[in-house]
Amino acid sequence: MKTIVLATCLTLLPACVVPAQAQSSSKELLMFNWSNYTPPDLLKRFEAETGIKVSLDTYDTNETMLAKLQAGGAGYDLVVPTGPTVQTIIRDGLLLKVDASKMSNFKNVRAPFDKPEFDPERAYTVPYMWGTTGLAYDAAKIGGGKIEDSWKELFEPRPEYAGKIGMLKDVNEVLGSAAYYLGYDYCFDKPEQGQKILELLEKQKVAVKVYNSEGTVDRVGGGDVAMELMWNGAFHRAHKKLASAAYVYPREGLNLWGDNIGIPKGAKNVENAKLFLNWMMDPKNAAEASNFTGYNNAIKGSEAYLDPSLRDDPAVNSPEEVIARFRPMRECPKASLDLKDKIWTRLLR
Amino acid sequence: MTGSRDLWQFPGTKTAAFAVIVYLYLPILVLIVLSFNASDSSLARWEGFSTHWYAMVAADDNMLNAIRNSGIVACIATLFGTAIATAAALGTARTRFRGQTVVEALIGLPLIVPDIVAAIAILLFFVMIGIKLGLISLVLAHTVFAIPIAYLPIRARLEGLDPALAEAAADLYANPWQTLRRVILPLIWPGIVSGAMLAFIGSLGDVVVSYFVSGPGSTTLPVYVFSMVRMGVTPTVNAVSTLLIAASVSLLTASYLLGRRFS
Repeated sequence: MKTIVLATCLTLLPACVVPAQAQSSSKELLMFNWSNYTPPDLLKRFEAETGIKVSLDTYDTNETMLAKLQAGGAGYDLVVPTGPTVQTIIRDGLLLKVDASKMSNFKNVRAPFDKPEFDPERAYTVPYMWGTTGLAYDAAKIGGGKIEDSWKELFEPRPEYAGKIGMLKDVNEVLGSAAYYLGYDYCFDKPEQGQKILELLEKQKVAVKVYNSEGTVDRVGGGDVAMELMWNGAFHRAHKKLASAAYVYPREGLNLWGDNIGIPKGAKNVENAKLFLNWMMDPKNAAEASNFTGYNNAIKGSEAYLDPSLRDDPAVNSPEEVIARFRPMRECPKASLDLKDKIWTRLLR
Repeated sequence: MTGSRDLWQFPGTKTAAFAVIVYLYLPILVLIVLSFNASDSSLARWEGFSTHWYAMVAADDNMLNAIRNSGIVACIATLFGTAIATAAALGTARTRFRGQTVVEALIGLPLIVPDIVAAIAILLFFVMIGIKLGLISLVLAHTVFAIPIAYLPIRARLEGLDPALAEAAADLYANPWQTLRRVILPLIWPGIVSGAMLAFIGSLGDVVVSYFVSGPGSTTLPVYVFSMVRMGVTPTVNAVSTLLIAASVSLLTASYLLGRRFS
């Protein structure tokens, strides 16, 4: 008797716990994003203009965000994946088709962000921030001169920089840049290519002070390293501390990454989310996001609203002639990923 | 008993103890000091005294929301977890019954299973039975993890209890409920308090399970801080940590005084 009662209670428990679903005509928007990546003032302005309140939840990497979406039940209206992750999410059918290319503000999106490889028709996402991974150095070490715009300066460094080099601890950034220097494709998969890259990196390792993706701003700004494989937004912040720092776009090619906003399946406030997507393609709003994050945006006409320090920084506001050097980061096939994994493990042993 | 005096007489014990304490607490001290750093470096570049990071904590709605969520979840999970753990300890201490080993293993299971495995399993389970992700799902998950954490100190304390006391109470016409309330509970109170403390801290610091099981609007503080890694950690984190340390220290002092009342 007791067990029957207990069993009945246990089966009824979920029914008590699941609250009634609210109808989706509410004026709210649930955003899932990195923290410190959307200006609070921007969201307040969105609320003032549309009456929709945006609340923010955060994740630390694309992979954990993806895991949560794949497990189902996330319930967010907006999500901000980086390019290669967008490919995976679309393939898994977890993003809603929104036909962003047909939205009214889409005409503001500038090339190449209007037709990225991971979402060629911009059917699922709109661009948010983008950045490059280039070479930062302290010009004071060579008497205020300029280094060549080539990866050679990083992988076969001059004596002034040897021993004071910082590298990101990211397999795609390090191996990608090395691949460009040696003329290989980002998704290289031949063992001989892997061997050459490993040799190059092991020779360079002697001159490297640290492999760490965190604290780049501090170590460059404070002079702990004199040369760094660095994200351009981080460079912009370090430049504020160290006036003699400079940024180079290597001519062999450099990694380009882009974050994008999309609507995950299971979103409740789809219309509000679409409004937000369109709103973010407006130059003024994109510029406000740029000013906050220190990264560039993909919207034409935003230069007028950019912070002067960002607009005048060639590391962030990339000049026309270097755009051809950008190589969008993408998801590589398994053979390439396995090879990269092997090289990376050997290198950091 | 000759225990503690002999230990201190071993040469080097005092130095070793001091060194360990410094090693453990120096980083915390640095953290607190750097929360007053004027520059935006939460590493070691001191550029003047400033309290504006505390002001930024107060102005950051998302962070305040995360703190609120962490606090609510930790309190409720600790409450229920410790209550259930006390019941479990009372039921399994000093007795033998069939299946006892299995029961004890089940109680301790959440501690042995890796965080990420448990997190995904709980998430899939909640989705499967239709529980909406939010504060409720968080509290449920945290309670599950609080139980084994609180169970161990309470069980230990119970095992150390003199069985003659319960018999004496029965001798004096106390029924089991009165014995529990007036004799056993006060005697194991320090164990319950320390169990509750451990469960609370465990819940406050949990990242992996909290991340996967939280829903929109119920991000907890550790998850929020963790997701700042990509854009760079600012001294707001130091400021929040210092406030949390201040809160924990006052809580610990309160629990110590509470614990003393019954011993």
